[in-house]
Amino acid sequence: MTDIKRSSSSLRMGRRSLLQSMGVAAVGISFAGLAGCGKTESGAAGKIAATGEEPKLNFYNWDTYIGETTLGDFKGASGIDVNMTLFASNDELFAKLRAGNPGYDVIVPSNDFVERMSAADMIVPLDHAQIPNMKNIDQSFIDVAYDPGRKFSMPYTWLTLGIGYRKSKVKAKPDSWKVLFDSDEYKGRIAVLSEAGDMFRLYGKYLGKSVNALTPADIQTISALMEKQKPFIKAFHEDNGQDLLLKGEVDLVLEYNGDIAQIMAEDEDIDFVLPKEGSQLNSDTLCIPKGAPHPKNAHALINYLLDAEVDKKITETILYPTPNAAAKALMPDDYKNNPVIFPSADQLAKCEYAKYRPDMQPLYEEAFTRVRAS
Amino acid sequence: MALLSRRPVAPLEYTRKAWMRLWIAGVMVFLYAPLLVLMVFSFNDSKRNVVWRGFTLKYYEKALNNDGLIEALVNSLTIAALATVFSVVLGAMAGLMLWRFRFPFKGAVEGALSLPIIVPEICMGVAMLIFFAKVQWPVGLPWPLNLSAITIAHITFCFPFVALVVRSRMASFNREQEEAAKDLGASEWATFRDILLPHMKPGLIAGALLAFTLSLDDFVITFFTSGPDTVTFPVKVYSMVRFSVTPEVNAASTILILLTIALTAVALKLQGVKAIADAH
Amino acid sequence: MSLQNWQEHKRPFAAIAGAPILWLALFFIVPMAIVWAYSFGENSGAADIVISGTLHNYKRAIEALYLSIFFKSLAVAALVTLICLIVGFPVAMAITFASDKWRPWLLLGVMLPFWTNLLIRTYALMTVLGGNGYANKALGALWGSASWLRTLVGLQPLEVWTPVQLLYNNFAVVLGLVYVHLPFMVLPLYSALDRLDRSLIEASLDLGAGHLRTLSRIVMPLAAPGIFAGIMITLIPALGAYLTPDLMGGTDSQMIANVIERQFKRANDWPFGAALSFMLIYAMFALVALQSLRGRRKPAQVH
Repeated sequence: MTDIKRSSSSLRMGRRSLLQSMGVAAVGISFAGLAGCGKTESGAAGKIAATGEEPKLNFYNWDTYIGETTLGDFKGASGIDVNMTLFASNDELFAKLRAGNPGYDVIVPSNDFVERMSAADMIVPLDHAQIPNMKNIDQSFIDVAYDPGRKFSMPYTWLTLGIGYRKSKVKAKPDSWKVLFDSDEYKGRIAVLSEAGDMFRLYGKYLGKSVNALTPADIQTISALMEKQKPFIKAFHEDNGQDLLLKGEVDLVLEYNGDIAQIMAEDEDIDFVLPKEGSQLNSDTLCIPKGAPHPKNAHALINYLLDAEVDKKITETILYPTPNAAAKALMPDDYKNNPVIFPSADQLAKCEYAKYRPDMQPLYEEAFTRVRAS
Repeated sequence: MALLSRRPVAPLEYTRKAWMRLWIAGVMVFLYAPLLVLMVFSFNDSKRNVVWRGFTLKYYEKALNNDGLIEALVNSLTIAALATVFSVVLGAMAGLMLWRFRFPFKGAVEGALSLPIIVPEICMGVAMLIFFAKVQWPVGLPWPLNLSAITIAHITFCFPFVALVVRSRMASFNREQEEAAKDLGASEWATFRDILLPHMKPGLIAGALLAFTLSLDDFVITFFTSGPDTVTFPVKVYSMVRFSVTPEVNAASTILILLTIALTAVALKLQGVKAIADAH
Repeated sequence: MSLQNWQEHKRPFAAIAGAPILWLALFFIVPMAIVWAYSFGENSGAADIVISGTLHNYKRAIEALYLSIFFKSLAVAALVTLICLIVGFPVAMAITFASDKWRPWLLLGVMLPFWTNLLIRTYALMTVLGGNGYANKALGALWGSASWLRTLVGLQPLEVWTPVQLLYNNFAVVLGLVYVHLPFMVLPLYSALDRLDRSLIEASLDLGAGHLRTLSRIVMPLAAPGIFAGIMITLIPALGAYLTPDLMGGTDSQMIANVIERQFKRANDWPFGAALSFMLIYAMFALVALQSLRGRRKPAQVH
């Protein structure tokens, strides 16, 4: 992440790093010296960015979710120094911000958490006048059910769940959820997600239901199916399914297309399929949490990230589908026409965004706990 | 020394017995095999820890140049050092109190002291999150003051461990020594310093090691008490390895391991092996 | 040994009791009290909790589902503790009886792996244990050479080696937890064994008792407080482990801490998470209280 900052001034940073590693060697004995060299940059008191705020910004992002030089370029363009820290799941992000915002300016929650956080008054409405690059966003991403008119969030990436598999180990293309959910064909060689909500919703898809129309009765049916399938499953993974697949621990895995696309570049024997029953869509978005100390800088960063050239560079690194039409147009054909990254329109027509359903979430959790304990 | 080597293995020289050596060797293999793999893979020329794809040093360069990672490491070590010092002092006091005195509600105090060990980490993390939010603990202070919330939380879950170890250590103390010292006119403080403290020492060492380890490795409670500019090593690592451990993290860990060994060697040299030996 | 009454030694008592009690009250009891209050509350909206005095969360917590997970976790933690004790005791003895030159290095040798981040260590252990990992390769090589030896003496070669499943099951969870918790056992044992009166052991050996007999009759009883501390320090954190079962466990390896963690994160049900946590606390509190009652009686018998 902070390699980004470095590339702009590698020489000075190199020295700074050296000082810091010496600091490590001193095991915190020379507090003062470290404080001196560690914080000079961010403590640029008195300076003011074009936005009228001090030139600082705290960006709370996922790991490997930004371009190599994006933040350094942003600093060059705006003078704002971005301090990016990382979170690993929406649940963590939400739990941490629930009691109050400890100083983050821009966060990257997924669609259902945008709903949840706006319902809980944890994110503030965006000022579209400060985000002219909103025009770059594909129209189909503007009026979305989880945030009509993009009042609170700007889409950053989108992704879909499907089956990643090892081509040499399957008899036929596993294009149905059946192979993961209701069959012993690949017993002991499959891994599925450990996230209760996603699992129940995808089972719903397998049974021909909308991901947002599940009822407590459906949970009963699905639990029974899950318990039946459990002996054939090797592990419930924590969203690291691509690793299990790459290591050869399993041959079929329930994962996001972007994650599988990344490992397909390393192993030609791996492929991804969006099951014919349809799937669940997700979208990660840029939001400003309530109490952000630098809201104007935050708008400036969001606008910058939506720039066509900037998002093109980000997309080249992270290889996720982008909702930015202008950026996508700049991408090479092997990205635009990659069926893993961009499934066909009729495949996508069968996919849905999951709604935030506070009534169902605890039921999913309890039922899944029961399945795991059975 | 000469005497020892001439003699066959003495009854209490357990470390010179073959079965004991075999056992220790086995335990060490168990403990170190994964670390060795980790170190080897830090030289792997691939983004993932899966297949060996050739030797490279680039991840060391990357790790050493990753300011965020280094800053997190410095934060972690600072917190761990502070938490260890405070925990040992508080823990020794608590351990002595329980070992030595009879006082009202002792059972309740004892139970309360063991609670931080018992409480699930996530529960304590959330408790700390709400607590620091409710008392509006200042954020955005200059380093190292911005680490205060995390350090306080760490001391809170570390010092009961020290208390437990110190108390169990004191159980083997021969009270008559203390009485004798006092009879000979030593003050309370002198008795403590010259009689109690030396006996307590292995407990303090063990407690300090425990506290340091617990603090250095804590993720959950730290996660809930950290802010945008107080990232620690585990918090950083947990968010970085969402997509599996990168060789960069391996490289950073390898550096940390080697640094620890080097520092210990230096510390042992400086203090003199003799001094340590005398302490025992 | 008799305990001193605090009233007869008010100044020393105040000097050592004030700071820890104050710290605990301010930075632990107060924060925990808030969460305790939550356990009697219910969610209203996505981020608000109304403390309504309901017992609903506790009713859910004592359902068979959660109790069974709790007891399973307890069994796993107890097994882990036992293995740690068996593995760790000789190590602690070796450290105790090592020469002064070696002692710090042995201590460091035990502790060093634990200064590497838990998650990184767990991933490293998983690399070793995986289906194509080194443990399996080593076992495979042994198997292969055994097979080759058989052919040498004219027997049928063994069947082709199939990798053993060392990951994603309950065995992996126990192994992983032992790996993680071993120093928690070794340290208290070492601190108790050190300064053990060696003449007692020597006397026992001189009088013809074997090493094992001496161990069980002399060393173990003398080290009992350390063993107890070690068990406490190993058992309870093992019961609270969530990462190892998450990463190394199979489909049925969830432990109570995983369930609690999910309530605070995914399920976003803090009141229920609080109730589950406090069930654990009540249980442990009862256990500790019981232990301290027994502990108070014991010394009286000895002296």
